[in-house]
Amino acid sequence: MRGLIALAGAGLVGALASGRPELALIAMPFLVFAGVGLVLAREPRLAVEIELDRTRLLEGSDAMATVRVRNDGGGPVQIEVALLRSRNLTLDPAGAVGILLRAGGHSELAFDVRPQRWGSHAVGPAVVRARDLLGVTTWEGRLGRRADVRAFPREQRLRELVAPLRTQPFLGTHVARVRGEGIEFADIRPFRAGDRVRHINWRATARRGAPQVNDRHPEHSSDVVLLLDTFEEARDRAGGTLDDAVRAAAALARACLARRDRVALVDFGGTLHWLEPAFGATQLYRIIDALLSSDIAFSYAWRNVDSIPLRVLPSGALVLAISPLLDERSLAMVTDLRRRGFDLTVIEVSPLDHASPGESGDDAVAFRLWRLQREAMRARLQSLGIGVAVWARDGDLGPALEGVNRFRRSARPAMRA
Amino acid sequence: MLLAALAALVLADASTASQLAWLGAAVALVFLAIGMALGSASAVHVAVAVLGGIFLLRHDTRLLLAPVYGAGLLLVEDLAIQTIELRGVGVVALDVVGARTAGVLAIATIGAVAAAAGALAVTAAPGRSVALTALGALAAVAAVAVIAWVARRRYRASE
Repeated sequence: MRGLIALAGAGLVGALASGRPELALIAMPFLVFAGVGLVLAREPRLAVEIELDRTRLLEGSDAMATVRVRNDGGGPVQIEVALLRSRNLTLDPAGAVGILLRAGGHSELAFDVRPQRWGSHAVGPAVVRARDLLGVTTWEGRLGRRADVRAFPREQRLRELVAPLRTQPFLGTHVARVRGEGIEFADIRPFRAGDRVRHINWRATARRGAPQVNDRHPEHSSDVVLLLDTFEEARDRAGGTLDDAVRAAAALARACLARRDRVALVDFGGTLHWLEPAFGATQLYRIIDALLSSDIAFSYAWRNVDSIPLRVLPSGALVLAISPLLDERSLAMVTDLRRRGFDLTVIEVSPLDHASPGESGDDAVAFRLWRLQREAMRARLQSLGIGVAVWARDGDLGPALEGVNRFRRSARPAMRA
Repeated sequence: MLLAALAALVLADASTASQLAWLGAAVALVFLAIGMALGSASAVHVAVAVLGGIFLLRHDTRLLLAPVYGAGLLLVEDLAIQTIELRGVGVVALDVVGARTAGVLAIATIGAVAAAAGALAVTAAPGRSVALTALGALAAVAAVAVIAWVARRRYRASE
């Protein structure tokens, strides 16, 4: 607008100064344009609503955001609408959308919404730029309420899980070490008062000449504590170790709850959050909701096992620590838990995939040293009887857990000694 | 294309000052290209001002072409500004550009008619005098002042 008036003014002044009326005549359309444009321009009265067709979805899948724009003003307006969004959310179309709305008209704009990462994301409000029909005046503002979309982590299907050393006296799917009512055969022993007649092993009784009964292992559940390390992460453009750790935690929680275990969650990092152990589908949604708010919170505070409430770490629980093993505090925590007698397995979300060896020779040597240090640290943990499953990005968690089970089978005698 | 047509209109009748006219047209083209490439409205305004200035290089002093030339300049200016304004917009509905261009075309026609009426008045006038120049200056200042005042009021109201 200022440019138009300046051009018209320059033309008029030039005409007066040079005595050439042509310049004034050339400036005349500009003057008329500015004058008519200003007279016709009205402040737009716009209303914007943002609606999502789905508010819960898996990361990487799509939802549709519909932006309804209504022009309640008295004249037509050109409108550019762009949606504000969270960092890990992509929109299609990515830029603004330009439309023309007549007086009293409305329009619906569709944006494809895709969360690139699990978490809670915001779509909106809309940034709207409106111009009158001639583009003489422009208004800008934010309209509409933001809509939230929760993206759940992609989960792997786990065929095999870490078998717990101890079970709890609740009905479950693990064959307990103790003997009692169950299906799995354990041993044959002489009949005692109180034994059921249906448990008598008649063949053994005939052979030994005295009543013998079958002993069985009952099927029990176990307590599983998922310990998510949020002290530190390795991150590159494609993602970070926390992203993978949350995916692993969600997959483990689902699998453990499916085999009727009680599952607890401890988000152990700069800030401490926890969920007490519980069974069932409700607990799964609680855990996933808690995982969605996980984040790396930088802190110098030294935390140890004493920071965690006792009721979250029941005795005999299987602790699955999901960590990139980058922070001294997480290492100390893991070691401390093992020394206190917890049945512990570390799922190491490998940070190596997020780091490059560098270009120079020195960088390559430093990278190799770092890898050797990590191997030494892993060996140190294994010497304490802690199974370590290394999970590489895009890898399968199942085979890594199978490796841990193999280690735990051989490590058990050493643990008892 | 419109810029080239306007420049050609000047170059066709600028025999003795054709080099200057060529230079002016080239400068205007460069400024317009820079303005559209960098999204600078100021560069576009400079281009339009230069293109308006070279109209004085025409030998034919009849005033009837000036209104058409001014309308053409207004169209060039608005099309360039539209290009700049829609730079960051991913999807643009066709009627956005169409309606605005039609509106500007209509206003440019009205402006050209008004300018033609002015041209007729100038040719009918008895010649240059101090009183007429003062009246012209007063009218020019008043026109710009009124527009600036309206614009200021509108901006203040929207703030």
